[in-house]
Amino acid sequence: MTALAQNNGNDRAAPRLTEDSMVKDGLENGKYLSFMIKHEPYGMDILAIKEIIEYAHVTRVPRVPATIRGVINLRGNVVPVIDLAERIGLGTQPVSRRACIVVTEVRASDEVLDVGVVVDSVNAVLDIVREDVEPAPAFGSTIPVDYIQGMGRLGKEFIVLLEMKKILDMDELARLDLTQHAGVAGGR
Amino acid sequence: MWQAKKTRQGGYAAKLSGELNIYNAAKLKDELMAVLERCTSLSVDMSEVSELDTSCFQLLVQAKKECAKAGKDMRITAHSPAVLEVLDLYGMESYFGDPIILTTATDR
Amino acid sequence: MAERPQDTFFEESNEMLAAMENALLALEQAPGDADLINSLFRSVHTIKGTAGVFGFDGVVSFTHVVESALDKVRAGELELTSELNTLLLSCRDHIAVLVRHAVEDSVVSDAAAARDRELLAELRQFASVSTQGAVAAVAPEVKPAAKTGGVVPSVGVNNKNWHISLRFSPEVLRHGMDPLSFLRYLTRMGELAKVIFVNLCNCSLQEMDAETCYTGLEISFCSDADREKIERVFDFVREDCRLVVLPPRAKIEEYLALIEKMDNEQDRIGEMLVRCGALTQRELEEALSLQGSARESAEGEAPRLGEVIVDRKMVAKEVVDKALHRQQENQGKTVISHSIRVDAAKLDKLVNLVGEMVIAGASTKLIAHTLGNSRLMESMSVMSRLVEEIRDSALRLRMIPIGDMFNRFQRVVRDVSKELGKNIRLEVNGGDTELDKTVIEKISDPLMHLVRNAMDHGLEAHAERSASGKEEVGTVQLNAYHDAGSIVIEVADDGRGLDEERILTKARQQGLVAEGVTLQQQDIFRLIFEPGFSTATAVTNLSGRGVGMDVVRKNIEALRGSVDIESEFGQGTIIRIRLPLTLAIIDGFLVTIGESSYVIPLDMIHECVEMESLVNTGSGKRKHVNLRGEVLPLLYLRDFFAIDDQRVERENIVVVQFGSTKAGLVVDNLIGEFQTVIKPMGRIFRDLKGVSGSTILGSGEVAIILDVPGLIQEVAEHNVAVSAGMNERNAMTVWH
Repeated sequence: MTALAQNNGNDRAAPRLTEDSMVKDGLENGKYLSFMIKHEPYGMDILAIKEIIEYAHVTRVPRVPATIRGVINLRGNVVPVIDLAERIGLGTQPVSRRACIVVTEVRASDEVLDVGVVVDSVNAVLDIVREDVEPAPAFGSTIPVDYIQGMGRLGKEFIVLLEMKKILDMDELARLDLTQHAGVAGGR
Repeated sequence: MWQAKKTRQGGYAAKLSGELNIYNAAKLKDELMAVLERCTSLSVDMSEVSELDTSCFQLLVQAKKECAKAGKDMRITAHSPAVLEVLDLYGMESYFGDPIILTTATDR
Repeated sequence: MAERPQDTFFEESNEMLAAMENALLALEQAPGDADLINSLFRSVHTIKGTAGVFGFDGVVSFTHVVESALDKVRAGELELTSELNTLLLSCRDHIAVLVRHAVEDSVVSDAAAARDRELLAELRQFASVSTQGAVAAVAPEVKPAAKTGGVVPSVGVNNKNWHISLRFSPEVLRHGMDPLSFLRYLTRMGELAKVIFVNLCNCSLQEMDAETCYTGLEISFCSDADREKIERVFDFVREDCRLVVLPPRAKIEEYLALIEKMDNEQDRIGEMLVRCGALTQRELEEALSLQGSARESAEGEAPRLGEVIVDRKMVAKEVVDKALHRQQENQGKTVISHSIRVDAAKLDKLVNLVGEMVIAGASTKLIAHTLGNSRLMESMSVMSRLVEEIRDSALRLRMIPIGDMFNRFQRVVRDVSKELGKNIRLEVNGGDTELDKTVIEKISDPLMHLVRNAMDHGLEAHAERSASGKEEVGTVQLNAYHDAGSIVIEVADDGRGLDEERILTKARQQGLVAEGVTLQQQDIFRLIFEPGFSTATAVTNLSGRGVGMDVVRKNIEALRGSVDIESEFGQGTIIRIRLPLTLAIIDGFLVTIGESSYVIPLDMIHECVEMESLVNTGSGKRKHVNLRGEVLPLLYLRDFFAIDDQRVERENIVVVQFGSTKAGLVVDNLIGEFQTVIKPMGRIFRDLKGVSGSTILGSGEVAIILDVPGLIQEVAEHNVAVSAGMNERNAMTVWH
């Protein structure tokens, strides 16, 4: 605790650090939410997940790239919604009937933000022990290696565990915003 | 005597029940530590506590103190008459920063 | 987010530093004013005293020297010359640095340390002040009662209750006894007026032994029982506790003995006694002073309690007490403000919640109307009114007078005028005008720029002023007043004024205005806010590098404000900033495009017209329309936002105006006015143009708030002529 606190001396969200550190140290009891994108299962660490809601009432924000679906009202807070498929390079697609918004907490430099990600459907919560998580393959994966936390073994199958911290890096998303928006606006 | 479940955002909700006295203080301490280690906030339902003595009470006080230090929120969400009596005697009604729910008090 | 005591120290010190600065500046105008000198001395003294409580030795030793010098000034032994005044201002700045280091617990940089020595050396030149014993000198001073001493000590304290102090042995629980049972027993004999639960555990939960007692008690007990009877309650536990029973109105020495018994709790027992109602604050101080003097005479060394106080660093209460003490000291000199300090974050939370309430109210109202239940509608309208009142009061809580910020400019004006060799006076009017704290914080930098600009470029040099028959002293004014729901801040100078011709020439050279285009005076003045525009012939170190004014305008616009200029050549310039009173809620106008709703700030809207009334249908998409003889460029939001929902037949034009530029936003339907609570959109949208925020509609859906200046800028960027007057028909481009 103290070591962590020193590392992030001016971080107001210090308590969350303990949670983050548990993700790393306590992987033996890792719990993952598994969900579908384009008929493929993926997993994300359950600790960062705040809630899962039905996909509805997403307000489009003008002039943003396809990665950002829009914003929703989450009990009075306006929360951005990210198209996860698009973000990890799988391309966008129409919203399925079973689509959900997984609301996750993202720590961006000095604040904790809620961000929703769209998935096609939610499957289950998986327990994957640490020994069963393999490092991400160096090549041959359909999505950028940076976005992969590891490969979780489920019997004979593997499931891609996404590195949400990287995927939802707010500064990167904001940059994306700038560069791509020029293209969108100029395209007309 | 102790059931804890995870709520959202790393929060935990615990329900304490039965006798909280020196005979099970050590157990309470272990349970508290286990949950405090991983929670970001903790709410404790004490509506079904039939007895609370100083050994257990001082553990709760210390737990609250450590939570406060770590910026975590710990509160008691419901009180049984036994709990209310201890809070009242020790003048600690406001320490846990929780509204005392009067429905339990009327049972007295 | 509990406030650390250090933060209180920091805030308090900043207030003192501000007071110090004000006093020094005022002394320049009124040399030798005894009240001001006293106030100056008190500020420094208070900083030193409080820093001593926290053991911030760096601050203490430096302020001690400053204080000693001021003491000499106060005694008339040292004259407060303008050199000394300047030096003291520098000292003030240095104390601010030291305070920050102390609070952040950071190492003082070499530069700061050198500055320390430099200033001390200069101070010593003015007065032979010794730095010796600075820290030691604090101890007796933080012992406030030393001054109020002389009270006959054997008077009983003003407490009609018994006081029972209990410390149990660690074994008491294991021996089958529980402190609770004694409390229960006591309730049979009287009333527990106040119980303080003392948590004696100084280890972590993990290190705690579950069966060890870590509990102590301080009890204020109201009872007719006698001492024997009370003590008998604790018979069972005699071996296992340390018991002190003090009768009602016990002598102060008895309490002192109690305090002394608590070796390891000296740092808080006093506070607990006060909390418990056993002692008043004054009585405690008396006891402490007694202790101090007793030890002093007995041991001949520095009073131990002084050390204890210096060592204890932690309890916020000390700071509060100190402040209390200071207030007593200052009584009659300062007006005690009837205010409380509230964490700004808490206020924000409240304002946010009220915003929620406005939204929820709107939604309920909607339902009431849908149901057509008249009684419900009636009660809803009462509710709405109350909610609006609550909203207004909540927003008012965040309002603070702008005067404090204005006063900070006194120093700037003083320093800059010395630097420029101009004689400049700052006049402040309307300092009690209130506006949102956030707005004040954000407007401070732009104002600074404008004030510097006024001094540097606006005001002429002495010779030039005399030549044109003006008073040699130039005046810069800061004015604030309310006007039609917004606040106006003016930066005015009586300098040379803006030179229309020169600005226009320059703008033409820089290609900001096309040749042959004629502009109105307002538009010419406005050019100085264009990026890259500067007319300053001499680039000084203050301003005039061609950056700045455009940034000023941007900052003001970011606050949903506007800026305009009034100037008469040779007479002076007034830069007028108009700002909304608050950033949290605006009046909005709801429109729809396709299935989406958008909010346009109402104060940006000039009028709304039906497209059909201006244009024959079927004539294709018009790039501009004729609005009563005026050419109005159109911005088709549907296309601009790439919305591909079903197109409606009858489009509407919302004519928006920003500055002198108008544009028509083409939307589908006009819904109507509604009170809009602005919700931040989060950082991923921070660079998004054309969108200024979002809000939540009664239906629960999010609507985007349009950024009209941003949209108009987009229109204008495609054609300078649009902003420059719209006269050139062939220059008019189509925005679309």
